[in-house]
Amino acid sequence: MNTLRITGGTVYDPANGIDGIVRDVCIADGQIVADVEAGRTINASGLIVFPGGVDVHTHVAGGALNFARGLVPELHRAARTFQHGAMPPAGGRAGAAGSLRRAGLGGVTPTTFATGYLYAGMGWTTVNEAAVPILTAKHTHEELHDTPIVDKSCLLLMANNEIVLDLLEAGEVERAQQVVGWLMWAAKVYGIKAVNPGGVAAWKWGRNARALHEPVEGYRRLTPAQIIAGLAGIVDQLDLPHPLHLHCNNLGIPGNVATTVETMQVLEGRRAHLAHLQFHAYDGEGWDSMRSGAVAVAEAFKAHPQLTADAGAVLFGDAVTITADGPWQHLLYQLTGRKWGNLDVENETGCGIVPYVYKDRSVVNAVQWAVGLELLLLVDDPWRIFLTTDHPNGGCFWRYPEIVQLLMDVEARRAQIRKLPPAAQQRIMLGDLDREYTLSEIAIITSAGPARALGLPQKGHLGVGADADVTIYPAKPDRDGCLFSYPRYVIKGGAIVVEEGDVVAVSDGREFVVRPVYDDGIEDYIRPLFEQVYTMSFENYPVEIGRLRRPALMTLAAKRR
Amino acid sequence: MGTERRGVRIADTFAEAFDMRAARVVITAATPAWARTAALSMTGFATSVIGCKVEAGIETELSPADTPDGRPGISVLLFGVNTEQLGKQLVDRIGQSVLTCATTACFDGLPSAPGRVAVGGLLRHFGDRLQSSKFLEGRRYWRIPVMDGEFLVEETFGVQDAIGGGNLLILGRDAEVALAAAEAAVDAMRQVRGLILPFPGGIVRAGSKVGAERYQHMTASTNDPYCPTVRGRHDVTTALPEGVNAVLEIVVDGLDRAAIEQGLRVGIDAACRPGVVEITAGNYGGRLGRHQFRLHGLLDV
Amino acid sequence: MITLTLVEQPAVPLEAEVVRPDVVAGLSAEAIRALPVFLGRRQRRLDDFFRVEGDGGDEIEVRGDAGRVKWIGRGMTRGRIVVRGNAGMHLGAHMAGGAIEVLGDASDWVGAEMSGGLIRVQGSVGGQAGAAYRGSASGMRDGTILIGGSAGLEVGMRMKRGTIVVAGRVRDFAGLQMKGGTLVLGGGAELRTGAWMLRGTIISLHPIPLLPTFAYACRYVPTFVRLYARHLQALGFGLPADEADGAYRRYTGDSSVPGRGEILVWSPRGD
Repeated sequence: MNTLRITGGTVYDPANGIDGIVRDVCIADGQIVADVEAGRTINASGLIVFPGGVDVHTHVAGGALNFARGLVPELHRAARTFQHGAMPPAGGRAGAAGSLRRAGLGGVTPTTFATGYLYAGMGWTTVNEAAVPILTAKHTHEELHDTPIVDKSCLLLMANNEIVLDLLEAGEVERAQQVVGWLMWAAKVYGIKAVNPGGVAAWKWGRNARALHEPVEGYRRLTPAQIIAGLAGIVDQLDLPHPLHLHCNNLGIPGNVATTVETMQVLEGRRAHLAHLQFHAYDGEGWDSMRSGAVAVAEAFKAHPQLTADAGAVLFGDAVTITADGPWQHLLYQLTGRKWGNLDVENETGCGIVPYVYKDRSVVNAVQWAVGLELLLLVDDPWRIFLTTDHPNGGCFWRYPEIVQLLMDVEARRAQIRKLPPAAQQRIMLGDLDREYTLSEIAIITSAGPARALGLPQKGHLGVGADADVTIYPAKPDRDGCLFSYPRYVIKGGAIVVEEGDVVAVSDGREFVVRPVYDDGIEDYIRPLFEQVYTMSFENYPVEIGRLRRPALMTLAAKRR
Repeated sequence: MGTERRGVRIADTFAEAFDMRAARVVITAATPAWARTAALSMTGFATSVIGCKVEAGIETELSPADTPDGRPGISVLLFGVNTEQLGKQLVDRIGQSVLTCATTACFDGLPSAPGRVAVGGLLRHFGDRLQSSKFLEGRRYWRIPVMDGEFLVEETFGVQDAIGGGNLLILGRDAEVALAAAEAAVDAMRQVRGLILPFPGGIVRAGSKVGAERYQHMTASTNDPYCPTVRGRHDVTTALPEGVNAVLEIVVDGLDRAAIEQGLRVGIDAACRPGVVEITAGNYGGRLGRHQFRLHGLLDV
Repeated sequence: MITLTLVEQPAVPLEAEVVRPDVVAGLSAEAIRALPVFLGRRQRRLDDFFRVEGDGGDEIEVRGDAGRVKWIGRGMTRGRIVVRGNAGMHLGAHMAGGAIEVLGDASDWVGAEMSGGLIRVQGSVGGQAGAAYRGSASGMRDGTILIGGSAGLEVGMRMKRGTIVVAGRVRDFAGLQMKGGTLVLGGGAELRTGAWMLRGTIISLHPIPLLPTFAYACRYVPTFVRLYARHLQALGFGLPADEADGAYRRYTGDSSVPGRGEILVWSPRGD
């Protein structure tokens, strides 16, 4: 039965219009129910009750991340460690076997088990791995298999897939849609990701794709704009629960405001989710004149209501940049002059890794820090823009509470702004923004909003029928001044997994997988092409569903035209 | 009440001296002669802060066992009005006279002084990007490429509080006697560590008084109470006792009271020779300088 | 003073970073006996392996062949450790002050990333003395390492400051990616000394093979070497610095980086 009653807490459930009401939350068999009789009770009076956090864009599992782990041994030496050991029995029941806590490392690139413990320890219960190449999807699923507690989904890289790009160039949109459907099911993923459309394909020639309407290197006519529009249309036709998840061209480049706004126009009213928008909101002509373009991006974003975004905010301190955007990563390497890793994924995509430290005395980094916050504050509708740091690119996910604090406390923001170099202070407008996020708005940007954007109706709220993922926070900031760093309780699928800051039980999260509609016959098109251009054998390409731990399958129906 | 030593009257008065800031520079070279050449060049035109901006002189010779690099050396003391001025003088003089002198190296002689000024830290630019540094036992040394190899100079030099303007006035029967007595005093005082005698040969023949009677623009003018040729004029109040026909002054700058006391002590003793009438000292009634050295107090030892 | 006599050889290397004055000072012998050491993944007591005598102070003496005892003196900031025997890996790693003396041999990573203090090994050591751990920007940041015997690969790799002296021979890549400090090679070296050197000084008392990216400059006795000679003489190591005896041939490099480091090779008079 496994019943639980959370009583007396101040509940924030914005999806159901509950804004700071003291009421009970009842749980049975892993779901929110209207009422329960027996079972454990948590006295949450004086505490805040939130739906479990949902991270809409993060990099926590797979080949790129593991390569990054290998690149930064010095950061592992300084990282928090998780010791292998037995946890006390759940609920304090003597005699019952406790869970086993597996060893792991925290830091900027946490190991798999540690990733689950760190997210859960913060009150986040659903995590979307944002970039998976089809070729190495097995690796991603292996690592997600070993990421405990949180529920997961992952997105498949598609915007530089040369089979798909060839079809788009030839105008064969229908066939491209079938191929995308087949590839999604082969990789066992939840949605489609586009990174620097055309740019990573161009990187295989040592080039990039900086202009949306110019042909991509190696192609005769195909432009990034056509890739973006083509894929957005395919995602809509496949009726995927989550729209095209797009990392725009010209990430990180001063003046990329123009590209971002142009991208929104290219999407022409189609749904899309713009990833880590902060990195795409810079004005200026070069590094010396780089300044915030958040106002222009926010204006354009507000004028395109079919779009959602996540912040991709920057925090000062250690980070590791890991993206499929190979050419950008090479540029960043040249700026830092230190370590760089670059991988090519044949026919599909690539990845670049550059460890990076954001410094508050760097004018550029200071502007980046401000832009993420400016976007979150300028966009009025919290249902459209979500809290992320593009972990680990902008900062570590386990520092999200610091961003929550900066959004809720204008004085804390201003105190940090005063510490920035004067040159930076003149290039940002963050000091002009008085807005302070309410708890309800925080619940939206950390949970309800991303859950809705991902198309997971059972997540992000505490209404009857929702998954029982509940986080209970103290009402006053903890020792580091942040409200959200140390939840009192975290409940995942109805089980108490975190109590008083410690992980006390481990469960296996589920992995959400979408089975799109496509014509099986497309395999006859794909197979000979695959055998011609890939070094791997075709039989080994698809991922068997049995490799996933607790897959939760969503089989889609054909879209009515 | 008077005090005498070997027939010479020691005046019951005090020398008035001033707060200054001092640095010690250790110059080494391939031979003692080359170290001395650099030291003499560096301490030239450094008799008084009034006109020279610094007072400098050779403190002592150093044997190879006593220098940082085990080569023959000389220690030089410099005294300035304030740290900033002293620092600039160090950079200018080491740059123009030690850096340029064959085989030399240059080290800080006050490594424990908490006040520091940049010397090598500024002179390193002469290396035009080709310089490098070494850091050993808490001290940084700059290596500047020069035509005979490298000029090694310490990055910072210590600056400490010091005392300047301690003095003796030797009143003699005639100029020849006064000079012999002053020379003997200088020889004795030069054996004392921690002090220098900044004037030429250690002796001042043109002692001065503050300001001037006639010319407003003069900050100092001839010390007419001690000038023999104007004794008797109605507009001069002489300080000369009977029988004195010449006066010479010895000015001493020292790192601390003890050094100046010892210097004055051995100086007075050496100057007590036949023909010297009196030994006295100059002061301003205690109105200008913070330090006073009573002559009788020195002899009580 | 505390005396730790090894009575039980660990079957696998023992992790004993508790053996340092910062930990034992002020503890009774009883408390010291109970200090944790790690044998593989199992936590054990110090007295499972050592007989403990005396009371905790600033001096520790280790007796026996502790060649499998790792991390002795790790991060110590004061006091003195004497090992009358061999010592295991990571001796004095991250040390900030105090002194360690080993009468026998030590292993790899002696004084890795140390920032102060003195380590003296009378015998030979392994590789990576004074070096950076993998991925770290810098190796030793200050301090002194003196090795009476020979050393292995990558001695002084990425060192930033401080002094390493090896009386015997070193293997390949001494001074690899060096950023500063002084490395004295008293007994020759194998290949690629100073590879990718950025700054700093390598002094070799014997001719050694040099990379083609090092350029000959001149023959002289740098004044700063005299300072080092005096400093090392007090520590019992003789560094030639007298023009009467010879001079150093100066090579600058590694131009492949490009670096502004130097290798000074002693050339006796008459050569």
